[in-house]
Amino acid sequence: MSGLPHEAYLACMAGLPQVGPSTLRQLAALGPPDQTWSRLCAGQVPLGVVPRHATGPEALRQAWERAAAQVDPSGHWSRLRELGIGVTSLGCPGYPVSLVDDPEAPVVMFHQGDPSLLEGTCVAIVGTRRPTGYGRRIAHQLGSALAAEGISVVSGLALGIDAAAHAGAVGAGAAPIAVVGAGLDAPCPQANRPLARRIAATGLICSEVPVGVRAAPWRFPVRNRIVAAFARVVVVVESAVTGGSMSTVEHALQRSRTVLAVPGPIDAGTSAGTNRLIADGAGLCTGVGDVLASLGRSPSTAGVPSEVRRRSHPEGLAGVLLGLLGWRPETPDYLVHASGAGLREVIVALDWLTRHGWVTQQGGFVERLPVAPAPMAP
Amino acid sequence: MLATVTSAVLIGIDGHRVGVEVHVSAGLPSFTLVGLPDASCREARDRVRAAVLSSSFTFPPNRITVNLAPTNLKKTGPVLDVAVALAILAASDQLDPHLLQGAAFLGELGLDGRVRPVRGALPLAEVLNGGPLVVPTGNVGEVRLVAPEVRAAVTLRQLVDSIRGDSPWPDVDDQPATECCAGPPPDLAEVHGHPLGRLAMEVAAAGGHHTLMVGPPGAGKTMLAERLPGLLPDLAESEALEVARVHSAAGRSERHGGLPRRPPYRSPHHTASVVALIGGGSNQLRPGEISLASSGVLFLDELGEFPASHLDALRQPLESGRVEVVRAAVSASLPARFLLVGATNPCPCGWAPDVRCRCSPAQLARYARRMSGPLLDRFDLRLHLDPPDPSTLFAGPAGAESTASVRQRVLAARLRARHRGVSANRSLRGSALEQHAPLEPGAADLLRDRVDRGLLSVRGTMRLRAVALTLADLEGRDGPVTVDDVLLAECLRAHDVLPGTTA
Repeated sequence: MSGLPHEAYLACMAGLPQVGPSTLRQLAALGPPDQTWSRLCAGQVPLGVVPRHATGPEALRQAWERAAAQVDPSGHWSRLRELGIGVTSLGCPGYPVSLVDDPEAPVVMFHQGDPSLLEGTCVAIVGTRRPTGYGRRIAHQLGSALAAEGISVVSGLALGIDAAAHAGAVGAGAAPIAVVGAGLDAPCPQANRPLARRIAATGLICSEVPVGVRAAPWRFPVRNRIVAAFARVVVVVESAVTGGSMSTVEHALQRSRTVLAVPGPIDAGTSAGTNRLIADGAGLCTGVGDVLASLGRSPSTAGVPSEVRRRSHPEGLAGVLLGLLGWRPETPDYLVHASGAGLREVIVALDWLTRHGWVTQQGGFVERLPVAPAPMAP
Repeated sequence: MLATVTSAVLIGIDGHRVGVEVHVSAGLPSFTLVGLPDASCREARDRVRAAVLSSSFTFPPNRITVNLAPTNLKKTGPVLDVAVALAILAASDQLDPHLLQGAAFLGELGLDGRVRPVRGALPLAEVLNGGPLVVPTGNVGEVRLVAPEVRAAVTLRQLVDSIRGDSPWPDVDDQPATECCAGPPPDLAEVHGHPLGRLAMEVAAAGGHHTLMVGPPGAGKTMLAERLPGLLPDLAESEALEVARVHSAAGRSERHGGLPRRPPYRSPHHTASVVALIGGGSNQLRPGEISLASSGVLFLDELGEFPASHLDALRQPLESGRVEVVRAAVSASLPARFLLVGATNPCPCGWAPDVRCRCSPAQLARYARRMSGPLLDRFDLRLHLDPPDPSTLFAGPAGAESTASVRQRVLAARLRARHRGVSANRSLRGSALEQHAPLEPGAADLLRDRVDRGLLSVRGTMRLRAVALTLADLEGRDGPVTVDDVLLAECLRAHDVLPGTTA
């Protein structure tokens, strides 16, 4: 067994039941990891490091003993090699500089892709997993504009805002960084797997969770501290008052990172959290310029899209309908009722508005667009 | 002594002629029933004995053998009771066997000799046509549709007296047609707002397009669906007979006298078993809900709560309009040409995509997955319904169009479809669609644009075109399908009404 690097044992320890970052830190502090692993296998670790758990420390220590008997560190290590996953641990060369003096630094980090990206400037874009079209659009725009400025976008590869920000950043300039809460063999929800593959190819996906461990709800708030630690600025695009993004904000404030929030309609639950953040003193984010300003930079003249797409002005019923549409999705039924026009005329007018970039129609809802969407690629 | 009486048994919705042969001979008293009877049929022994004795006849104290021919056909149910009793009486010299020749008898016996109605009398009567037919009084109404000369049996005693000519056949009072017993059907005029939903019902009725309605609780999905049968045209003679046959076989002929003229409406609860939906059962093969709804509307409320396997079982009948129910011993082909209307909440809590929705993305995805892609594809109309604006609710009855006036347009549109050689535009496929639904240049460009942008499949284009044609028909317009028609059809066929289907 000797000859294996310390990280192999640490990875196996991190995969034991009920082992989170702080327990792992205590286990690592017991001594050389290979010896600690032998003590775990023999059920002889001091009860002091066993976390409080419903089954009692003695039972959990026995559970560790049973689980450790199932794991072969050298097999685990070669699995990591096969998957092309890199491992660093606290105190080793290659460990992310931004995490070194973190109060809750992860003992071991797994990564896929290019770890040198962490040396550049990073900005986190976070938000709800269930955004509105507005939030999705803003996250996408911010992601691509920041990437074009050479700034790596950090996010969690979750559904919603995270995915929109990553999707905007991929291929737009600086490669994005994803910090996930599950093992790197299955880093994110199925829907985001293609995105994860693209990020792994050009950017960086990292996690403190060993391969083979599935995502659990408690791991996401814990993961958020790493997102906050990597980023110099954290931008919250859309979040409810009690959303998971608020834990990222707390971690960011503990680490003296700048927090910016994107304002939203006051009657939208998805923007209640960000509006509250602004009231509580977070910076206002009205575009990529605000993010750059908080980094002490000004927008580079080259990469900013300057072309303004003009939209023909709607007339007649189309104009009436646009006036009736607020900034929330409405059904055609509502527009028929509110405008008093016939269904057929309303549908035709909506088609005109769609073709001229004023509204978008999805799932039987009509939503207003503030700016014309980019023309479809041929 | 030997006697034979003709009767019939039911499999699926088809009657099968059965000869009841009784042999009474000297020997120790016994009563044997052979010829593949099931449990309920075998019980005839005890019912017949009691009924014969209660009717002041003598039950022969001899060796009695009853054979049900043909012997390879499985006999179920008590429908042969009367025939067995009469054959025993004839074989034991209590009734002249010649009087029974050529006649057929259906009916279950009570222990007191009363004749009880049976399930499926109409299809049974069809197969027995040709000679005198006697059925229980309760079945006379439905049987008259196919056998006007039918005679009624009230009790075994009266039946034997009438056969002998000792007393006249009982008059069956011509019960008046009680079609309206269910009350007038709900009227479309009661629906406030919902311009899109109203149009969808009209298009569904005119073109036979299957419809999926998605919306929060209380949006009015069920209310709209209940008004769809009222928009459909009256049943044609052949359709009406088939509906009557299926409903008779399922034992739910409530209407006496007269063919059912209005299309049926069935809305099974989502806990229905797959056999209850499709039809089946171990040896009887009863028609399921899809057959009961044939020529009418099958409304599946809370579609998202139906098990996925049940919904996928609907796919093949939706295509072929028939369902072949096959079991080891028996098989039956049942009609299933129904108009499918589904209603579902967009998500488990019911509020997506509104901010009130409390479901996780995983829940949304799981909910949307219940409906397989192929099933969703069969819905030509898919629309999102929101509760109407409160101000329309109390606007009074003015303005809302009534079922009667919408139905005029539906009838005219159906007439146009019939001139194309189909009953409704839904059945138009491929080259027939090319021929009957030519596109305006602008409309063709529009469809091409949607296909180019990946919003429509080729198959989806065809369905959209059929709906657009129905819209043109409802306007009473000849000539090519216009851009407006296509836009409206597109609006009625929102491709992502279930929020979980998009990431």
